[in-house]
Amino acid sequence: MGEEIKVIVFKLGSEEYGIEVDKVQTIERMLSITRVPKTYTFVKGVINLRGVVIPVIDLRGRFGLEEAEYTDQTRIIIVAVNEMEVGFIVDSANDVIDLHTDRIETPPEVVGGIKAKYLDGVAKIGDDRLLIMLNLSEVLSKNEIIQLESLEE
Amino acid sequence: MDMNQYLTMFIDESNDHLQSLNENMLLLEGSPNDLSIVQVIFRSAHTLKGMAATMGFEDLAALTHQMENVLDLVRNEKLTMQDFIFDTLFKGLDALESMVQDITEGGDGKADVSEIVTSLQAIVRGEAPSTKGSGEDVKASTSTSAAKINTAIQLDEFQYSVLNQSIADGHRVLYLDIHIRENCQLKAVRAYMVFDLLERSGEVVKSSPSAQDIEQEKFDHSFSLYYITLKDPAELESQILNVSEIDKVTVMKLDQESLLQMCQLGLTSQEAAAAVEAPSKENSSQGAASQADAKEQTEPKQTSPAAEAKTPAKTGGAAPSRTIRVDIERLDVLMNLFSELLIDRVRLEQLASEVQNHALTETVEHMSRVSSDLQDIVMKLRMVPVDTVFNRFPRMIRDLAKSLDKKVDLIITGADTELDRTVIDEIGDPLVHLLRNAVDHGIEPIAERISSGKPETGTVNLRAFHSGNHVFIEIEEDGRGIYRDKILKTALKKGVVTEEQASAMSDEEVHQLLFAPGFSTAEKISDVSGRGVGLDVVKAKITSLGGQVTIYSTPGKGTNFSVQLPLTLSIIAAMLVKMGSEKYAIPLSSIVETGIVRKEQIRTVHGNRMIEFRGQHIPLISLSRIFNIKDFDENAEAETEIIVIHKCERLAALAIDEFIGQNEIVLKSLGKYLPQIKGISGATILGDGQVALILDPNVFIK
Repeated sequence: MGEEIKVIVFKLGSEEYGIEVDKVQTIERMLSITRVPKTYTFVKGVINLRGVVIPVIDLRGRFGLEEAEYTDQTRIIIVAVNEMEVGFIVDSANDVIDLHTDRIETPPEVVGGIKAKYLDGVAKIGDDRLLIMLNLSEVLSKNEIIQLESLEE
Repeated sequence: MDMNQYLTMFIDESNDHLQSLNENMLLLEGSPNDLSIVQVIFRSAHTLKGMAATMGFEDLAALTHQMENVLDLVRNEKLTMQDFIFDTLFKGLDALESMVQDITEGGDGKADVSEIVTSLQAIVRGEAPSTKGSGEDVKASTSTSAAKINTAIQLDEFQYSVLNQSIADGHRVLYLDIHIRENCQLKAVRAYMVFDLLERSGEVVKSSPSAQDIEQEKFDHSFSLYYITLKDPAELESQILNVSEIDKVTVMKLDQESLLQMCQLGLTSQEAAAAVEAPSKENSSQGAASQADAKEQTEPKQTSPAAEAKTPAKTGGAAPSRTIRVDIERLDVLMNLFSELLIDRVRLEQLASEVQNHALTETVEHMSRVSSDLQDIVMKLRMVPVDTVFNRFPRMIRDLAKSLDKKVDLIITGADTELDRTVIDEIGDPLVHLLRNAVDHGIEPIAERISSGKPETGTVNLRAFHSGNHVFIEIEEDGRGIYRDKILKTALKKGVVTEEQASAMSDEEVHQLLFAPGFSTAEKISDVSGRGVGLDVVKAKITSLGGQVTIYSTPGKGTNFSVQLPLTLSIIAAMLVKMGSEKYAIPLSSIVETGIVRKEQIRTVHGNRMIEFRGQHIPLISLSRIFNIKDFDENAEAETEIIVIHKCERLAALAIDEFIGQNEIVLKSLGKYLPQIKGISGATILGDGQVALILDPNVFIK
C-alpha cells in the first residue's frame, strides 16, 4: 500500500523534479562558493552553511545537461543522504506538494536526458505536469563518480 | 535492573584496575617478596571481582576470583611467587582484558577461561605445573590444606557457627576430599552412594560442588565436604573406600583453631562477594545509588580481616583524585562551539578595524585576549598524558623479550607529556610497532651482546617531551644499529632503488628507505615483526596525523626513532595567501620563510623551474598551474612572492600572488562526498564567512 509523502519540487530547464521532503535539510539562495580544484567539473566547490563546509554540485552538470547562468531564481538544495551532506544547484525551487506513492510509476529508459537509474519514478500531477522523482543515493553514488572520472581522463 | 547506566563506569573502572594490576604485577616481578605490592594487587583484583559480579559478568568474576585465591595465599605468605605463577597470573590478566574488551564492544564478556582457572586452582593446591595431578601433598600440613579448602569450600557464617558449635560439643568435624576414578561411568551414582553412607552416621554441612550439582554430574571426578560425625575418621575412610570406583579419600580432622583459620581465609573472599551482592540489590530498588558506593561498602569489610591477620598493610591507594570523567563527545561539542566563536572573533576584529571606533576596538581586543586564554583551556581539556598509551608497553616488552629470549629494560620518561586525545587514540599502534621492531631487530640476542662487549640486558628508552608546537616521542635502543650497506642491499634486491640512486644517497635517505612500502630488513621473518607490512604503515599513520618520523642510528651502538607529532589537530596556525580571487591557507608548521623572487632569478633545469635559496637550488612550484587558477599566473609578473616550504630536510618554493597574513584557523573537513584531493587537506572558514582551502604542502615535495 502506498502512502502520502511530501515532495519538494524544483526545476532544471523545463522539467520538474521531486525530492522527498525528509531528505532535504534546507533550501538556500545562491551563496558564495569556494572553488575546489582538481575535482569533477560538476562539483562547483564548497560553501559555508552556518559553520559547516558543504560541497555543492551543479545538478545540470551531474546529469550531463548544459550548465546555465545563475539567476535570482537559482537555489541550492541541501540534502543529506547516507551521512553525506551535499548541496544541489537547481534552476529554481518553489513548491512543496503532497504526493501519493501509488501515483509514482516506473520511469522509461531516459527522461529529459537523464538515465533511468537516477530516477525513482515519474508521477503525473495535475493534467499535464510530470514530476520526476530523483533517486538520491544513485545521484550521489561514488561508484558512478569513479566511472565518470575514468571517462574524463 | 537496568545496568546500562553503570556499564560505561564499569568499563572505565575495570580498565583502570586492569592497568593497575598489570603495573603492579610487573613491579612484583621485580621484587617478588614485597608483600605490600601483593596487597595492592589483591585489592584491585578484589574490587574488580566485586564489580564484575554486581554487573552480572559471571566469567569475569569467576576468573578474578581464582586469581584472587592465588594472591591471597601469597599475601598470607603461604605461597611464594615463582615464574610459572607470574605467567599464569599474566595469562589470567590477558583473559580479563579481552573479556572487558568484549564488554566494551557490546558483547556479554563471556569467555572460556577453564584452562586458566584449572592452572590457577593447581597453583592454589600447591602444585607446580609439571607435577600436575599428583595431589600427594594434600596431607602435608594444615596450612596448605587449609588453603586448599579455601578454594574448594567457602563456609558462610551460619555454617561456620554450626561447625564451631559441634566441635565445642565434642563432635568430630571432618573435612573430606573424595576422588572418583577417572574412568567411572556413573560418577553421580558413586557420589550419591558416598553421601548416602555419610548421612547414615552424621551430617554433611556443606559440600563443593553443591549436592545438587553433584547429582547432575556437574563435577570433575572429585568433591569435598564438611562433615559432622561421631565416627572415627580412619573407619570412615575405609568405609568410603569400600564404595566401588572410589579412587582416594582424604579425611582431615578439624579442631576449633584450624576451622577458624580456614574460615578466615574463606571469609575474606566469601563475605566480600556477599557484600557486593547486598548493595547491588539496594541499587535495584533505589536505582540511583551509584555502583561506586557498592564498591566502597565492600572494601572496608574486605580489608579488615586481612589487616588484622597481617602486619598493618600499606594503603596503596593514592589520595582521592580531583578529577571527573567527561564524555569525549561533550568535549568535541565544546571544541566545535569554540571554533565557531573563533571564526566570529576574526570577523569582529576585521569589522572593528574597518569601523575605527576606539571603544569597539578596545572591547574586541580584550575579547581576543580572553578567547585565546579560553582556547588554551579548551585545548588543554582535550589533552591526555601519553601515559595512557605508554602504560601497556612495559608488559608488552616483558612478554616480547621473554618470547625472544632476550633481556630488555624499558625505561619510560616523560609519560606525563600531554597530547591531544585524537592523536593519543591513533598513536598507539605505530608506537607498538616501533617498540616491537626495537626489541626484535634492534636489541641483539644475549650472546651477541656479550661478545660485542655490551651489557647482557638491552635498554630501550621511550621518551616523550614537548618542543615548540610539537610533541616528540623517541624510541631509542642500544642495539646493533642500522647498517647502510645492509639496507641498500635489501633495497636493491627488492627494487626499491636503483644502483645509481643508492650510491648517491645520504645516510639519512638510506634510513628513510626503511619506511618504503614492501621493505623489511629482517633476514628471518619472525612472528614479532618483519612481515613486510611494517614501517611504511607506521609512517603513513604518523604522516596522516601531521607528524614525521626520523631515524638516527650509529652502527653497532643503537638506533633512535624520533616521532614528531603536532600538539593538536583541530586548530592550527596558518599563513593565508591570495591566488587571484581565491584564498588558501598554508600551515605555518611547514613554512620555512617567505620571500620575493625576480623573474630573471628563476632558472630552468631539466624543464623544472628552480630558484636559488640560501646557497642551494630548490624547485619553484606553480600553484596556479597545479590548481588551475585562472585569474593568476606568476609568469606574467616581474616579481613574484614565494613561500618556502619544507618536508623533513627537503625544501621547495610555492609561487603565490599575495600574502594576507598569519591566522589561527579551525580545521574543517570537506565532507564525505568529495574524494581525497591531492594537495588539499581540508577547509577553514575565514572571518568574512568565506571558505578557504588548506593546502597540504607535503604533497608538493617529492
